[in-house]
Amino acid sequence: MADDKDVLRDVWFGRIPACFTLNQDEVTEREAEPYYLLLPRVSYLTLVTDKVKKHFLKVMKTEDVEEMWCESEGTPLKWHYPIGVLFDLHASNTVLPWNITVHFKNFPDRDLLHCPSNSVIEAHFMSGIKEADALKHKSQVVNDMQKKDHKQLWMGLQNDKFDQFWAMNRKLMEYPTEDGGFRYIPFRIYLTMSDRPFVQRLFRPVSPEGNVHTLGNLLKEMYPAAIPNEGEPKQNQVVIHGIEPLLETPLQWLSEHLSHPDNFLHICVVPVPTD
Amino acid sequence: MAAEDVASSHSMRTDSAGESKRSCGFVQPGGHGGSGDTWRRHIVRQLKNRDRNQSDSFQDLIHFYSRLLDKSSWTNGILSRRPLTDSSSVSSLLNQNDQLKKTTGELAFQVLELQQQIKIKLLVLDEQDSSLLAERRRFSGAFDVRQELQGRAVQVQEENGKLKMEYDVLLERQRGAETRLREEKVREEHMLEDMIHLKQQAAARMNSRNERRSRAREANLQKELQSAARSKVAIDSSSSAPTSRSTSPKNEHQDKSAEPRHTRLFRSASATSPRILTSIRELFNRKRRGHSVCSQEEDQMSPVGICLSARVPARALQVLEAHEQGINTVRFSSSSDLLATGGTDRVIKLWEVRAGSLTHRATLEGSTEGITCVDFDSAGSRILAASYDKSALLWRLDDSVPKLTLTGHSRKVTAARFSPLLHQVVTGSADRTIRLWDLHRAACVQVVDVASYCSDLVCSENFIISGHYDRKIRVWDTRAVSCVQELPAQGRVTSLDLSSDHRQLLSCCRDDCLQLVDLRRWSHERSSFRAEGFKCGSDSTKAVISPDGCFLAAGSADGSVYIWNLSSGSLETRLPDKHSSSISAVSWSPSGEYVVSVDKSRRAVLWSDI
Repeated sequence: MADDKDVLRDVWFGRIPACFTLNQDEVTEREAEPYYLLLPRVSYLTLVTDKVKKHFLKVMKTEDVEEMWCESEGTPLKWHYPIGVLFDLHASNTVLPWNITVHFKNFPDRDLLHCPSNSVIEAHFMSGIKEADALKHKSQVVNDMQKKDHKQLWMGLQNDKFDQFWAMNRKLMEYPTEDGGFRYIPFRIYLTMSDRPFVQRLFRPVSPEGNVHTLGNLLKEMYPAAIPNEGEPKQNQVVIHGIEPLLETPLQWLSEHLSHPDNFLHICVVPVPTD
Repeated sequence: MAAEDVASSHSMRTDSAGESKRSCGFVQPGGHGGSGDTWRRHIVRQLKNRDRNQSDSFQDLIHFYSRLLDKSSWTNGILSRRPLTDSSSVSSLLNQNDQLKKTTGELAFQVLELQQQIKIKLLVLDEQDSSLLAERRRFSGAFDVRQELQGRAVQVQEENGKLKMEYDVLLERQRGAETRLREEKVREEHMLEDMIHLKQQAAARMNSRNERRSRAREANLQKELQSAARSKVAIDSSSSAPTSRSTSPKNEHQDKSAEPRHTRLFRSASATSPRILTSIRELFNRKRRGHSVCSQEEDQMSPVGICLSARVPARALQVLEAHEQGINTVRFSSSSDLLATGGTDRVIKLWEVRAGSLTHRATLEGSTEGITCVDFDSAGSRILAASYDKSALLWRLDDSVPKLTLTGHSRKVTAARFSPLLHQVVTGSADRTIRLWDLHRAACVQVVDVASYCSDLVCSENFIISGHYDRKIRVWDTRAVSCVQELPAQGRVTSLDLSSDHRQLLSCCRDDCLQLVDLRRWSHERSSFRAEGFKCGSDSTKAVISPDGCFLAAGSADGSVYIWNLSSGSLETRLPDKHSSSISAVSWSPSGEYVVSVDKSRRAVLWSDI
């Protein structure tokens, strides 16, 4: 379990170095210096980029400022995805630090959601947790919680307090021993080449015959293309939290340990870099 | 939401992987190492790798960069302000310098002033310190004093507490004493009341007694008057009496001795018979009478005390209910003119015997129980009685209140006799002792323990003879107080009598037999007297010898008086019909003239030969 606890900590404290640069088109009084920052993988962009915004506002006239949005190599970054997912999806195979361009104009309403305040992030986060618990425990656990317990989960994430968050999150990760796992595993599979944003279906951690389902089982069921055929070179990477777990890893364990704070297991399937 | 279309189509590859997971305990993914845990170790390793590549190498760099950024922006701010100051002239600077110098001087002056002020303040402070010290010392002194005072206060409080306790104790005692005082007062009142009551009772009793006495005196007077009316006839009969059985006179010249010493004379003249002696005395008396110029009344009285020969009674002169209850004992005085009867009604009655009738003279009270025995002293001035109340009482004849009460016996006193030594009496009791009492000292001088209940006793000069229930008659030497002789009897001894010459002893026993022993010879020769019909009625039935020693008299249970002739040993006469119950005692007057018998039904009968 000591290893498992370490895994949880490593997941929580995972950081991505990022270099924020102001978009060339923005009107500035003088040249804006780039801003470097270590982004927590499990958090959300708009929650951690206050400093970035402040830095760039110094060189800008207030009348030119609109809602800030970020873009990586031409792709607008959806703030409602965890940062780690954004990175793994869009920049996992680029040179570090991750270059992010900051915009204050021309908000892409088609691609991004507006984020006027942190309460919007909180609502999004909590809805994720509730959906996940609906899958895991028919919402029993989360409904038994009090308002302050919900607040504790959110504050733990907002202030990067691992212990505070997990003191409560532990309850969401429990399951009856005789069932051998959750009712369904909450997961989302992100595909770079797909039109759909992600794949999400019902999937049990244990087969009707009593066999334990693995990551491989899941992918075979949901997206067989992610698994390389025998004898062929690998075409896709299955990335969770910036790592590629073995396909025989049990799905229940992954859900317990490698889920994001919103209790979903975010799996990114990205093509193997050509070079 | 994706539709639920989970099919159970697993590839062979994933199945094998699943099996390997199951074998290493998937349900609780523990930290135990194993070949199956490769996936876990892989993940840990990959995470470490990721962190090393992505964050660790950039961490410090980014940190320093942001600090540098902050600093550069700050310097930018400063640099942007500098050109404004540069534009001012040197003169203004010099001005400023001068001004500054001036202000420096002012400030220096101020510093000096302040320093002085500080010195002053310090001095003040020192003073205050010293005064504070003094105050503190005073305070400590005061504190000591206070503590001392507190100690004293505590002490005083303790003393007060003690005093309070003592006071409480005293209060309690006082209360107790008061209650006792109250009780005592109440008791005193009670006693006072009792005393008053007793005094009232005593006064009432005295009154009633006086009344009774005066009534008795009146009755006596009346009887005397009556007897005086009959006296003429009596004189004739009594004057003829002494001559009827007189023997020839002898020893006429033996006339020196005074009357009280007669008995002595008789005893010393032991050889002569009592009958002769009495006849001598009679003659002597007659001679004196002849020479004197006495009145008729005196003549009448004198012959009663002297007996030459006893006359066998023949008829009852008087029958009277003498007491209120049964009569136990009867006795003539030595001068024959007084008769005493004692009864169960606790009193002794004295009767004057005159002219063939009994006149009540006095009642002697004092005993709290019935009288068992009475005795006159030889002078006839005192009377002794034995009582059921365990005491013997002594009266003077002229006083109805007892002069002495002799207490000491533990059961009823059955016999009480004057000893020939005038100041001594002897008592016998049911407590199996015989006691000798000194009348001068009113105290018991000797106690003689006997083996048996003493029913009667008689006294002589040197010995005491007692009769007992164990069929023994014991003779005691009064000087050595030892049993000299034991004489057997046929039954329980009920009474003893000594003849006037102290030679013959009569005993009455429950075997209905009278026995006469000659004490002179100390022999066992004895003569028994029986009669048909004679029955000893009780354990205290008393029989007597006639004063001339010729007859025996005893009362029977059938109410008849039996008289035996001593010389012939046969029954002389029997006097029936006057008593209706068992006769308890008889007494023969020393003059030989009368016999009185008393019975259990209050009746007394005076017998004579006329």
